[in-house]
Formats: sequence, C-alpha cells, structure tokens
Amino acid sequence: MAPLKHLERDNPIIDACFRDFCASHGILTVEDFLLHDLYELAAFAERQTNADRLKEGITHMLSLIEHQCRPWLNGMEILEDLHRNKHTLSTGDNGMDSLLQGGFREGQLTELVGPSSSGKTQICMQAAASVAEKQTGRVFYVDTGNSFSARRIAQFICATSDAALGKKVLSRISCHTVYDIFTMFDTLQGLEVTLRSQVQMNVNEYRLRLLVVDSISSLITPILGGSGSQDELVIWKKDSRVTNLVFAGRALMVAVGYMLKKLAHEHNIAILVTNHTVGAGEGGKTKPALGETWKSIPHPSGLTGRTLTRKDNQQC
Amino acid sequence: MGEDRGCGWIRGDETAKQMLSRVLRDRAFLLLPPLHRVPLRAGNVVEITGASPSAKTQILIQAAISCILPKTWNGIHYGGLGKLVLFVDLDCRFDVLRLSEMLKHRLLQANHKSKTLFDEDLYVSCMKRFLYLRCYDSLELLSSLKTLHYRIRQQEACGSQVGVLMIDSIGAFHWTDRLSSSLALETNNRKSLSLTNVVETIVQEMKKLLQVHSLVVIATKTTIYEEKYSTNENSRKFSSNDDLSGNSSSRAHQPPFREFMPSTWQAFVTHKIIIRKSGDHQSLQTGKQSLSAYSLEWLQPQLSSIDRFIVDDKYGKKWTEKVKPLKICLMVTFTADKKLTQAMSVCPIPSPLIH
Repeated sequence: MAPLKHLERDNPIIDACFRDFCASHGILTVEDFLLHDLYELAAFAERQTNADRLKEGITHMLSLIEHQCRPWLNGMEILEDLHRNKHTLSTGDNGMDSLLQGGFREGQLTELVGPSSSGKTQICMQAAASVAEKQTGRVFYVDTGNSFSARRIAQFICATSDAALGKKVLSRISCHTVYDIFTMFDTLQGLEVTLRSQVQMNVNEYRLRLLVVDSISSLITPILGGSGSQDELVIWKKDSRVTNLVFAGRALMVAVGYMLKKLAHEHNIAILVTNHTVGAGEGGKTKPALGETWKSIPHPSGLTGRTLTRKDNQQC
Repeated sequence: MGEDRGCGWIRGDETAKQMLSRVLRDRAFLLLPPLHRVPLRAGNVVEITGASPSAKTQILIQAAISCILPKTWNGIHYGGLGKLVLFVDLDCRFDVLRLSEMLKHRLLQANHKSKTLFDEDLYVSCMKRFLYLRCYDSLELLSSLKTLHYRIRQQEACGSQVGVLMIDSIGAFHWTDRLSSSLALETNNRKSLSLTNVVETIVQEMKKLLQVHSLVVIATKTTIYEEKYSTNENSRKFSSNDDLSGNSSSRAHQPPFREFMPSTWQAFVTHKIIIRKSGDHQSLQTGKQSLSAYSLEWLQPQLSSIDRFIVDDKYGKKWTEKVKPLKICLMVTFTADKKLTQAMSVCPIPSPLIH
C-alpha cells in the first residue's frame, strides 16, 4: 500500500494539510482512497476553509488513479496484439495439436487433467523439447515432484544426432524444483522481475515462450486442507481459525492462478499446468483434484486437455 | 451536455406527454439477443449465474455483438443498437478470436439474405465499438470504475454512445477479498479492504454511473461452490420438467445455487438468469464431437419458459485447418424444446440466431 505521504514529492498538492483532511476521514493510503465515495469527500471538503485547495487535491488524486489504470482497448487493438504477439506453439504431437487447435497459444493457460501415469508429464516434456527446438524459445519448467528428466527431453529432440545442436536446445530449458506454494510465489515473482528488466534492457536473447508447472495441484492440495473438497468447509465452520485457513488456501490458489495469467498475457508466454484427478467417492467417479474454484482459472481450451489425457490413457 | 439536460427537467415545466417521449427516447427498451426474452432498459442490472463452464461468456459476447452491430448499414438490416460495449474482464481469459469469428458469422448471415459481400469497413467499425479492459484484482477494478465516468464522457464527446457495461465475472476475487477481510485490522474510522467494503464500493460506483449514463449492466457470476448433490439435483430437475406447469413456483423458493455475493450486490441486481447444463445433446451429435446443451431460465422476472441452446464448438477445428475460417463459427443456437412447447402451448421460440 502506498501511503499518501509518499506521493508528496512528485505531487506538491498532496501536502500535510490535505493529508490531515484525508486522515480525518480514515484515508491514509491510495487504497483507502479507492474505497471512499469521492463525491461525499468533496462535499466534506466544501465545509473546510481551504475548500478549493482540498478539492483540487481530490481531483489530482483521481487523475493519479486514472494514470495507473490499464487503458481500454478496442476490439481491433486486441486482435492486433494477438496477431503480432501471441503465436501458437506446437506441442510436438500432431494429434494433440489438432485437438488444441494448433497447439498452446501464447498468453493462455492450458490445463492437463488426468490420473497419475496417464502421460501428463510426458506431454509436458515433449512440449518443452518442441518449443526449445522448433520455436527456438526458452522454456521455464517448474517441477514439483522430481519427475523432470533431461534424458527424456533429449530423446524428444529430433536433432539428437547432432550433439552440439542438441546441447544448445537443452540449454534453453531451465528446470526449477519447487515443493511448496510459497516458493512458487517467490519463483514466479523472480521470473517476472527478470522478464521486466529484459524488456527494459532490450535483451536480444531467445525469448521465454513456454512455462510448464508439473504439477500445480500438488502445490495447492496441501493448502486447501483435507482432501480439497469444498464440503470440508461445512464441517470446519465451527472453528473460525480453521475456516480462515481454508479461505487462505482458496485465496492463495486464486492468487497463483492470476499471477500465472498475468505473466502469460503481459509477456506473451504459453502456460501449461497439470492437475491430477482424485476419486470423488460417489460411484467411483474421478474428478480433478482442484475443485470448482480452480475451474475459472484455465482458458476454455484447457477443457480439451481433460478429454485428451483420458484418451491417451486408453491408448496405453 | 449532461448538466443541461439535468437542469431542464428540474425546472418542472414538462408535460406528461413530453416526459413520456423523453423517457422513451433516453431510456428506450433494448432487445439484446440472446437475452431478448425480457426487454431491458437503461439502469437495469442483469446477473447471469452458472457453473463453469456454462457458456456464460458466450452469451455475453452474443449480447455484445447485438449491441455493437448497427441497425442498418448500406441498406442492409442488421438489427443491432450501434452502441459501445464496455467489457470488464475479471476472469482474464477473454478470447478476442471468439468475438471476431462470431461477429463475422453474424455479418455474413445478414449479408447472405441480401446477397452482398462481406463488408470489411463495417466489421472494423463494429470491432472498434467493443472496448475491453482486464483487471487482475479488486483494486484495479475499483480504480477503473472510479475513472470510468470520464472515459464514457470522452467517448460521448466523439459521438458514440455506450450501451452496455459487461462484467465477467463478478465473483472472481471472492476468495482473495475474503482473505483480506479476515486479515484486516479495522482501526478507528478507517475502512478496511474487506469483501463487504469492496463490493459495497463497486456497487456504489456503478450506481453513480447508472445515474448519469444510460447503461445496462450485465454481469456473469460463477457458482464457486460445488453443488453437493449434483446427481440427485439433475434427476429432480428432469422430473420437474415433465410436470413443469404446476411446479415452477415451488422451484423459485429454493435458490438452485449457493449465493455468495454480499447483500449489497444482490439488492443491486434487477434481473436474474440462471444457466444449467442439461447433459450432452444426443440427437444433434455430429460426427465425433458432442455438443453441450444448456438451459437458460429467467428467475427474475420469473418466466415460465426455458430457453434451450447448444454451443457448437466447430469453429476451433475449422480455424486450424485454415479452410474457409469464416463459414462456421462458434455460435449459440436456440432450439425450442418440443416437449416443453407442447406442454405449455407457448409459441415456438423466435430463433434469430439459428444458422
């Protein structure tokens, strides 16, 4: 939160007098300002002796807020951004490419759902190899279950005969082991900082094009408490501390989802996450481990991923 | 301009006839297919509830297209409103290709009747009437809403009017805001960044916008709690469909989903729609792809008829094959359920979108 005090250096109108007026209405930060009815605040300012100056301050704050806002884009501008910056990356497998309408799209988050040993990790590694080799993009691979295998990726690379080239391709893939959600936030924040500084410095290195998280569910299920089922809420409701923990779990899950989506959109990265399935109890049906709340995180194309892994499973 | 008009009607020298014509002009009924069952008017707030996925965004895009299309263009009737759409994306997964393909499809449909060619200028002018913003948290949403008045003013100065404000979806930050409410320290008179405060301010800002600008607000809401007895619920739902004639009132008493939005939002909403998945559409299965069938029901005002529609997902296939990408696109086709129509003797649902 940015206290109003910090704004004074660049904006002399937000002086001690204005801040005192705001503080008397419980406004200490820019965020507090957002929660207030500004018309009402202006009406209060009217009663003060230095009304004009206070009102000028409010208008100035509003223009600062407007400056911070993302711009509204029209349909043609979004289309242009899509055609210029958001390409489709081949998954390295023809059948899968046609199911996903050409492959993973940059700027989108695709989810693979399937029971264990249904080939989710194989798809991830194949995609990583394909993007690093054919699209000459960098790949950021987050491994949460020690399932990453450089040897397996090397096998997916077509140019294995040329050892030097194979090495080059492999060097574009970086693997990061993460075992809990907090390290995950750390890793993603670090990634965002490097990406932003690269944009500023105009680095001509190979661009990061694919981010794989295998698997996201193993990071999130532990913080959801219990089996991750929403029914749990009802049982725990009596103890407010536990309820708060459950909220915290949900909130962290949503937060990591939005962080991924923001990275994907702003830096034009395709994101691939995997989610395992759990038995739902009733009638032996299986369902994705991350429940209803997670459903709104992946892009609609991710749903094809669900059927896809099941298909793969049958073929094996 | 707004002030002049404001002063004009405070003066009170208006006859009832003048007032009626002014109201009909400024707050005219809007028909926004596929939500054309109930005529909407400026100031209305429509909430579309449904699990994920239930084609909510799809319906928003359809309604948006009805808004951005002109009424007529070069002598061809398109039947749109010719107004701007403001689309606030909180789920952050809007796909502009969907909008583009569906718009092209609608244009081609209209052109097909009059046997004219696809008009690129018209397409571009329609796309430019669609304004898009994505927000990654509640604070971004709040600051955008706070400054939206000026943006709309700017647009109006350029001669274009805003028709609809869309929010997809309103409960997106429910959990994160709820966490901050449990962590918040409410000291003296300082408002905390809690869920209720945030939603209250969002509603307040939108109310202020609706007072000044003639807008319709359409928001989607994802049910974030799993339906516990989903299988039982389905069987109950199907059985109730058979004897719908007498049963529709009893269903209204129990909300079909768990309400999670604070009461300030619930009081703000004037129209409610619920979308349910009604199983895969068996009879219309084409080839390998099964189509998902959904039912759309008006809860407020309560209508006795239920719209059924299928979402045709073919556009994706066509798009990769790069064969005539315009011909078939993602579309919502409304079909009247025969059994239902007979039982209730309603005239067949007007189907403006059937291809």
